Amino acid sequence: MLRTTLAKVLNGAQFSPKNIAVITRAASDQAAKKPEKIEVFIDDIPVKVEPGTTVLQAAAMVGVEIPRFCYHERLAVAGNCRMCLVEVEKSPKPVAACAMPVMKGWRIKTDSELTKKAREGIMEFLLVNHPLDCPICDQGGECDLQDQSMAFGSDRSRFTDIDHSGKRAVEDKDIGPLIKTIMTRCIHCTRCIRFASEVAGVDDLGTTGRGNDMQVGTYVEKMFLSELSGNVIDLCPVGALTSKPYSFTARPWEIRKIDSIDVLDAVGSNIVVSTRTGEVMRIMPRVNEEINEEWLSDKSRFSYDGLKRQRLVTPMLRDSKGELKPVDWEVALLTVAKQLKNAGPSVGAIAGGFADAEVLVAVKDLLNKLGSEALCTEHTFPLDGSGTDLRSSYLLNNKIAGAEEADFVLLIGTNPRLEAPLLNSRLRKGYVHNELEVALIGPKVDLSYKYVHLGDSPSVLEQLVNGQHQISKKLTSAKKPLIIIGSEVLERPDGGAILSAVQKLCAATNPQTENWKVLNVLHKVASQVAALDIGYTPGVDKIRELSPKILLLLGADEGSIDKSDLSKDTFIIYLGHHGDNGAAVADAILPGAAYTEKQATYVNTEGRAQQTLTAVSPPGRAREDWKIIRALSEIIGATLPYDNLNEIRNRLDEVAPHLTRYGTAENANFFKQAEALSKSVKSQIDKTPFDVKLKELQDYFMTDSISRASPTMAKCVQAVIKQKQSKY
Amino acid sequence: MSYFGIDRIFKVFQTMRSYGGIKASLYKLWRMDSLRPGILVGTDKYGNQYYENKSYFYGRNRWIEYAPKYGFDYDGSQVPAEWFGWLHYKTDLLPSQDPSRPNYKWMADHTENLSGTSEQYVPYSTTKPKIQAWFCKMTFFDGT
Repeated sequence: MLRTTLAKVLNGAQFSPKNIAVITRAASDQAAKKPEKIEVFIDDIPVKVEPGTTVLQAAAMVGVEIPRFCYHERLAVAGNCRMCLVEVEKSPKPVAACAMPVMKGWRIKTDSELTKKAREGIMEFLLVNHPLDCPICDQGGECDLQDQSMAFGSDRSRFTDIDHSGKRAVEDKDIGPLIKTIMTRCIHCTRCIRFASEVAGVDDLGTTGRGNDMQVGTYVEKMFLSELSGNVIDLCPVGALTSKPYSFTARPWEIRKIDSIDVLDAVGSNIVVSTRTGEVMRIMPRVNEEINEEWLSDKSRFSYDGLKRQRLVTPMLRDSKGELKPVDWEVALLTVAKQLKNAGPSVGAIAGGFADAEVLVAVKDLLNKLGSEALCTEHTFPLDGSGTDLRSSYLLNNKIAGAEEADFVLLIGTNPRLEAPLLNSRLRKGYVHNELEVALIGPKVDLSYKYVHLGDSPSVLEQLVNGQHQISKKLTSAKKPLIIIGSEVLERPDGGAILSAVQKLCAATNPQTENWKVLNVLHKVASQVAALDIGYTPGVDKIRELSPKILLLLGADEGSIDKSDLSKDTFIIYLGHHGDNGAAVADAILPGAAYTEKQATYVNTEGRAQQTLTAVSPPGRAREDWKIIRALSEIIGATLPYDNLNEIRNRLDEVAPHLTRYGTAENANFFKQAEALSKSVKSQIDKTPFDVKLKELQDYFMTDSISRASPTMAKCVQAVIKQKQSKY
Repeated sequence: MSYFGIDRIFKVFQTMRSYGGIKASLYKLWRMDSLRPGILVGTDKYGNQYYENKSYFYGRNRWIEYAPKYGFDYDGSQVPAEWFGWLHYKTDLLPSQDPSRPNYKWMADHTENLSGTSEQYVPYSTTKPKIQAWFCKMTFFDGT
């Protein structure tokens, strides 16, 4: 398996460009120790750079962009496209800027005759075998080759083809339901290959043949089995790898792009939602170094077609025959209000995974006004000890970006590769570039990097707490240890005991860095942290005990509560955007907006508040969730004191100020207090082995109401199962 | 007698008698706004009767009496194609007298214009809806 640190040790080349090129935080730490800077001249502009900096990076420092195809700052340097050739004074040949480290006093000419000629020649070579199908190519309009041939290519063609021999043609590959390949367009930059082996950790892609016969492919016909596979579409500089669901649907110049936040996992990746004619056409990642860098997981990228199916578009009420019938808002709200008035304080609410902070606070205010405290989240969390009172107990405290700096990571009952693919890519980055060691307590899963499997027995955790396990020494001696515990094991009945054991274990570690936080909880749904911040009670036990006359489901679709848990005459109101388990048992349905259809606040697992923006309007009669609650409150006669987004955000600010500080993650620091309080936990960890729901790739694609409604995700599951059965 | 116009009075009585009395004649006058004597030249399969009276001037001398089942809801589109030509002076030959009329098995039956009725044609979109709505399949409270 690829691991650059090993290569470093073997050939002792600490600063070969291959290691420098990929930005890691670790690399920047090391660079700080090197004082000597060398001076070079880019187009006669002097610039002082670290030794080992490449010509391309030095040029970028003074704002000169050198054209490139194969070079990508997050991947290893390949140097095979030759587009970045520049002239260096007193050098007999032009040099490849992406791979060549600068030397003292070099005068680099990025705009000279020789450089221009070199670029024009390379462009001509690339275009010799590139088809002229830009008008029917999905990359058209956002294609690096198109742009650069306009900027640097020749103004006329020497391609005559008098023999009608045609251009080189390559057969297309079938690498799954997400990525469409048109391999004739491939210019062999090998970005996809490098991404697969370095970032995704799946050595599926490679090249066969050489020279004119070189082909990029999977050697044998197989699917590109990765949860990050969609990123090769963004990486491909030409139209060789394009998105299958998006193919032939829209053009980049027709599209409106709206910055938003992904809510399909708890990572909160930054996305760009592309819309046309009031329809989401595709979702692409947006750079955020703190969270997703420039990657996006496949579920977040491709499940957007789930937003167009199984939608709740009109309010519905169950009639006397027990059938749900569409009604208009007036009837629906009046009926629900009547029920609420009759019920008095016997009202409960369960928040599902997609509930935003605005609706969470609106529902809490409404229920509190009615005299109820039965506000629960669907996903449970232990309440023993300090419970959810101290924020540090339920956050990924060390932040996602911090994970790549760690030198020892202990994963407990989690499969980060499928629960938070972008956190896993950070861990993999640490493994590849930073000597990170990983140990896992839980079922044996493929994390895309090597780790020590400690078994799935809870007794391992107890041994670790007592310091008797063979890995205990490593944990205590690690300079930057991380313990990442999955929210799923904390949902067990003995979750409180597990959490307090982990808190004890964290207290026993000795991090050498200031502000290094060992305890990290990895959540699975986007709403959980905001709900706990606002003061929801984790878990639905409270609802079971109270058995309220009215139960409000805020997109709660995971079936955490059953009809049998409630009394026969409980009136269930479902407020959400998809017809799923929750809507099927509801007596009244109030259609809400999905995350692309509202401006809403979400808090990710590290406690970072971010907001989605409205990309399209909610379908049919659906409305923004908090506005429905606000309208309902007025009919009941308990009017909530906010009429617009600003006013409800002021209310959010009153409840918890960090909820409106968008983009920043507030630190939580009460580990010692939490640990002290956890000593009061008397319960014991039982013997049931740790388990995770998402074990294999086919479990990953359909986990919530949006991805369950998505045909693309269903195809992915089928494709993965089929691939598992094939002999490759 | 014609000099005094008495024959016209006779004609009125004659016409009224041919329509079956005063009451029937008044009903016909109410229904069709005119009362004229004519020779019944034919009846189509829907029960419409076609009259001719050569003594009226051209353009007024052929008319239709819609079948009683239409009541007051009669209109021009209830004239079937085979009678249309005769009624509008395209031909002087009655449908039964014209051997050159095409007559095939596959020819569709005449339909009147259905605009304004419940059976009228209403254009509808054939494009796929952008959003597919959810409809509940479960019908019982207990979730079975």
